[in-house]
Amino acid sequence: MTTSSSQVHSLAVPNRRLPRISLGMLLVLPALTAILLLYALPLARSLVTAFRDSSGAWTTDHVVRAFSLYGRDMLFSVGVVSVSLALIAAISIAISGYLVLGATPWAVRLLRWLYRWPLFIPFVVTGQIARSFLATNGMMNNVLVETGLMASSSAQSFLDWRGLVLTFAWKQVPFVTLLLAGAMAAVDRSHIEAARNAGANRLRCLFEIVLPQAAPSLWVGLILSLVAMLSVLSVPMMLISGNPTMMTAMMAHRITYYGDYGIANALGLFSYALTAVTAWVYLRLTLRREATA
Amino acid sequence: MSTEALTLNNVTVDLRQQRILDGIHLDVSPGSFTCLLGPSGCGKTTLLRAIAGFTPLSQGDIRLGARSITHLPPEKRHTAMVFQSYALWPHMSVGDNLGYPLKLRGVPRAERKRRIAAMLERLELGGFESRAVTQLSGGQRQRIALGRALIIDPPLLLLDEPLSNLDAAIRRSLRSELRRLQKSLGITTIMVTHDQEEALQMADQIVLMRAGKVIQVAAPQTLYQQPADLGVARFLGVDNTVTRHEQDPTVGSRAATFGFRTRDARINEPLRPATLTRKGRVTECVYTGDGYQISLDTNEAELFATANSPIALGTFAVLQVPESALIPFGPDDRHLPPLDRHEDIA
Repeated sequence: MTTSSSQVHSLAVPNRRLPRISLGMLLVLPALTAILLLYALPLARSLVTAFRDSSGAWTTDHVVRAFSLYGRDMLFSVGVVSVSLALIAAISIAISGYLVLGATPWAVRLLRWLYRWPLFIPFVVTGQIARSFLATNGMMNNVLVETGLMASSSAQSFLDWRGLVLTFAWKQVPFVTLLLAGAMAAVDRSHIEAARNAGANRLRCLFEIVLPQAAPSLWVGLILSLVAMLSVLSVPMMLISGNPTMMTAMMAHRITYYGDYGIANALGLFSYALTAVTAWVYLRLTLRREATA
Repeated sequence: MSTEALTLNNVTVDLRQQRILDGIHLDVSPGSFTCLLGPSGCGKTTLLRAIAGFTPLSQGDIRLGARSITHLPPEKRHTAMVFQSYALWPHMSVGDNLGYPLKLRGVPRAERKRRIAAMLERLELGGFESRAVTQLSGGQRQRIALGRALIIDPPLLLLDEPLSNLDAAIRRSLRSELRRLQKSLGITTIMVTHDQEEALQMADQIVLMRAGKVIQVAAPQTLYQQPADLGVARFLGVDNTVTRHEQDPTVGSRAATFGFRTRDARINEPLRPATLTRKGRVTECVYTGDGYQISLDTNEAELFATANSPIALGTFAVLQVPESALIPFGPDDRHLPPLDRHEDIA
């Protein structure tokens, strides 16, 4: 009975199905074209360019030179990004934890309203704010001197790796917090109450019950932040004068002053590799967790 | 830690300008099994959460043994709660779930391992230590949740509808298992339930709640036979109420209304003395497994009764209830004769 009806159905289908498939393709096409033209193609081109000399022959020259010329900047980038990620993770966990477990309702409401603001401020503006805040005569030092917490003679500029770390953290913490706080809020309330009932204080609840369950969102947030920090140009350009600096600044330098796409792309290759490795580690972690669950 | 008495004195809870619990007084003796029973929204879960420390009081005092726990955070109250959803932590194995309360109390690893194994044996889940909680069945999860609560030897066990998510057969077997375990441990237990049968079977003392107030505190038998008022009676399966007539039995001669249960009312049986009788037309006849439930349309109300054989719709039938099964209520809908003082708290 069912087979015969399905046969009848499948006989009737071809006429109807063909236009449906082409309609589906039509709907996907704009997105697919955009990805191919605006993302896949430039990526492939930049990868190829990193391994070709001016005559078009294959070479590893650019990669070797990129490492010898900008090895310090690469290490600097990795260092700044790692410290920033640690700081971002610590602050996001603290804020999200308080949003979920805080016992003072008005403070929780205030924090929930406040923490998102940096999300709406572009990197270039953030760089400008950081400059006027962290410079030797910036607002931070002025406030510290005015309030008598620091002697004016010991005022120093933070416009170095510390400035970068603070600026990146300031810009990325809201983003990671948004993801993490959402994931923490999704943790079943009774899991938290069961832990407190068992004798866990709120801090232990955060680290032993809530965070382990929300960790995947933290990793996603940190990986996306890593990509953002490795690709932003304005902040290192505005905060850091001289060497070493972030790789993006060096890539821009290579292109604007020398028109040297080969070495710039070789530097880009390193950025890809770094994000790819992190993404791979993350995927492995998720897969393992799903396999055990 | 030994088991302790629980005393609630004028416990009042307000949430967003709404009174959820209204001046609750309750004494729970050590080692007893108390059920908080009532319809949804009556405040029974809120009361349990207030005892556990998850709902702040606006007034009143909660004492566990000699000490007041009113102002302690949940983690310092040492009560053990089993949640309706079991609330097992999915990122921990069965063993880690059971061991976490011990870990929080600084019990060394080896000792923890020993006690987890002993608890699993007791729950008849021996060797389940390294299983993921997501792989367990509903009944197994329920046992692990109970084990996690009991492993710290708490002075007070709080159960929030622990059996409501299980299917009927498992629920029945776990009911007696839970009661046996509670008796053998002698632990003071408070259980929230909306299931009157569960409460009657398990409790030493039932606290019947309605609209944030305690209506009646009594032993199961007393509650069943002498419900405080018509509302309580209806909640406990008294489906039928009739206005008293002249010729009705003289029990509770001041009664304005009689209540009785469907299974106590028989249809078309030889008339006996001292019974309440009503005549009506049969409007429905439903097979219930151990007989037929008959709906009878009398002049004053629709009544339900039990018959051994089916009865044709539209025919007239006589319903008969023995005097002993009649529950008399006064004009104010309260039970007659007045209940003993110590049972009538409200």
